Amino acid sequence: MTLLDVQQIKKYFATQKAVDDISFSVAPGSIFGLLGPNGAGKTTLLRMITGIIYPDAGTIIFDGKKFDPLKDIERIGYMPEERGLYKKMKIGEQALYLAQLKGLSKSHATQLIKEWFTKLEMESWWNKKVEDLSKGMSQKLQFVTTVLHNPKLVILDEPFSGLDPVNSNLIKDEIFRLAKNGATVIFSTHRMEQVEEICNHIVLVNKGKKILDGTVKEVKQQFKENLFRISFDAMPLNTNNDSFTIVRQNDDYSLVVKINEGHTPNDMLRYFLQANVNIYSFNEILPSLNEIFIQLVEGTPAARQFQNVTA
Amino acid sequence: MKKTLLVIGREYITRVRKRTFIISTILFPLLYLGLIFGTGYITEKTSRKLHVALIDSSGYFNKAAVAQANQQDSSSYIDYVTINPDTLKKNYSSLGYDAYIVIPPIKWEEGAKNVALKTDKTYGVVPVMKVEGKLNAIWSTIKSEKLGIDENKRQILNQSNITVNAKNINDEKSNAKIASGIGYACGFLIYFIMLIYGSQVMMGVMEEKTNRIAEVVVSSIRPFQLMLGKIIGIGLVALTQFALWIAFIFIIYNITKASGSASNNVSGLVGSVQTVFTSINVPLIIFCFAFYLLGGFFFYSSLYAAIGSAVNEDMREAQSLAFPVTMLVIFSIILMTSAMADPTGPLAFWASIIPFSSPIVMMARIPFGVPGTVPWWQLGLSMALLVLGFILTTWFAGKIYRIGILMYGKKPTWKEMIKWAFRKS
Repeated sequence: MTLLDVQQIKKYFATQKAVDDISFSVAPGSIFGLLGPNGAGKTTLLRMITGIIYPDAGTIIFDGKKFDPLKDIERIGYMPEERGLYKKMKIGEQALYLAQLKGLSKSHATQLIKEWFTKLEMESWWNKKVEDLSKGMSQKLQFVTTVLHNPKLVILDEPFSGLDPVNSNLIKDEIFRLAKNGATVIFSTHRMEQVEEICNHIVLVNKGKKILDGTVKEVKQQFKENLFRISFDAMPLNTNNDSFTIVRQNDDYSLVVKINEGHTPNDMLRYFLQANVNIYSFNEILPSLNEIFIQLVEGTPAARQFQNVTA
Repeated sequence: MKKTLLVIGREYITRVRKRTFIISTILFPLLYLGLIFGTGYITEKTSRKLHVALIDSSGYFNKAAVAQANQQDSSSYIDYVTINPDTLKKNYSSLGYDAYIVIPPIKWEEGAKNVALKTDKTYGVVPVMKVEGKLNAIWSTIKSEKLGIDENKRQILNQSNITVNAKNINDEKSNAKIASGIGYACGFLIYFIMLIYGSQVMMGVMEEKTNRIAEVVVSSIRPFQLMLGKIIGIGLVALTQFALWIAFIFIIYNITKASGSASNNVSGLVGSVQTVFTSINVPLIIFCFAFYLLGGFFFYSSLYAAIGSAVNEDMREAQSLAFPVTMLVIFSIILMTSAMADPTGPLAFWASIIPFSSPIVMMARIPFGVPGTVPWWQLGLSMALLVLGFILTTWFAGKIYRIGILMYGKKPTWKEMIKWAFRKS
């Protein structure tokens, strides 16, 4: 069962294959991370999922049916990367207007706005204008207007950019709460530490193509290099053994080792147990998403080149 | 549809509530009237009165005739003096004169050709013309006396001017002078409103794009709905302003009529306004004005919306892209002045049929009389083409808008924008 199924979608612009044959699916209630370097095609992909632009080819299945932007738009909340609000409009009226555009009735919208404003301590904002708000405050307002109509699918493009740690945590908690209440969250970012913290499932795109797809755990397993860290009370005299190779030796009597092909960590442990030293700690070193990201994206040109597209 | 109404409502209410709307509604008619009457009044009041000394070597002029002319016409002052021209040349300014004239020894039958107004300053054409007029008046009195024409005969001679007024036999009430006055006023009003509100649409679209609110909104409604809502909302603001002006005029008219008996001047004014109202078809003109105002506004503002969507926050980019469109509007007003000279001619006909210029030119022709000057079929054709025209421009603009609103970076050219319009979605 998936909430969103993206099948082989393509979007070509005049000088760019912005999205070139990407497929993935998003499970309901999950927090899905869409990652990629700048200019990878993330925003184009998200705009297609929100119905702002149409794919050149491929299909999008939303909640079991073919995605119909005119109808399904009301069940999606989208917060674009570049925040946008009417500067001169009163905040309460602005939230009300955006909620009504999502199909809520005036009274229902007013009630929901009041609830959210109370929850995020924004009650005093109603008659202020957006130009009076700081960047973080308008970010909070933008988030509220995005999720106000209780969308089934919430799409957040770089939701934490420009937020201080306190407000960042506030929004993060709200994202968790949304997912717990049954909403599905897709968010795009290039800040990997947030992804490790928040996402269940990730997709990595680069140059318009999907290059990685899986849960955070799977991806880390897939890219692990059999590295382990082991520490002792004193450095063993002899550290040569077939089962492992030393990658690094640290001053605090610890080693980073790579388990050799055909051996298991237990072989290494067995060796050190017999080496007449006390083992203090032993743990596997999994690559961080940041490292995986850099490893995958590195080597490809940092900026996409313009090309002629014939399609 | 319901969402488009929401957009219309927002655009309308945020604009009408602004203080600038209220101020401009009150100030614009005042400025408009001020522009028309004020300039005339100011030139009248500030024009210079020349104080001129006159030395006569012909022997025809005398102190009494000059003094009489001074009494009849106070726009300049001529002093008949009998001193040596050379002394006057040295002393004229210390004697309080701006200039002096020496009439050469001439014969009245031959007429005086060129007379020099000697001065050490430079004066404009108008004050010198006033002196010229006065001298001619004196000169013609002198000649009349020589010919033995007395005051009575002179008056009879002066009454001999014939004035010609065009009367349309199909439309007895029409009055060409009033009609051209109203035509000009309507044409210029539409011109101003199209330019002012058209650029408001452009700025509104640019604001939404640069604030990035457009992307949020188009995740809720179609871009076309957003554009249409904005255009209709602002169009309604223009219509509201127009309705308020009409209301002002009627209120002021009725107040002056009620208090009219108090003074002769006011009742004279009311009388002349009544002649205006009876010589034209007021309901038809108001209806047509509203129609052409909205039609022209939709026609041009959708183009302005397309431009606004294509550029970034740089006002200069927008202006350079809007230049051809603005030129079309300005060209219409030039066509209007030519069409007014001959309101039934081929230029007037074509310019009032083609949607680019029809809002201004047709509106300038209508006060001359329907169906007298503008047959019903022409009015119908012009209206139908205008509707067709703005549907076309709105469609075209919608295509550009949809792409432009999400594009950032380099300003596109018109060629690229036209390419966007014909791209398949």
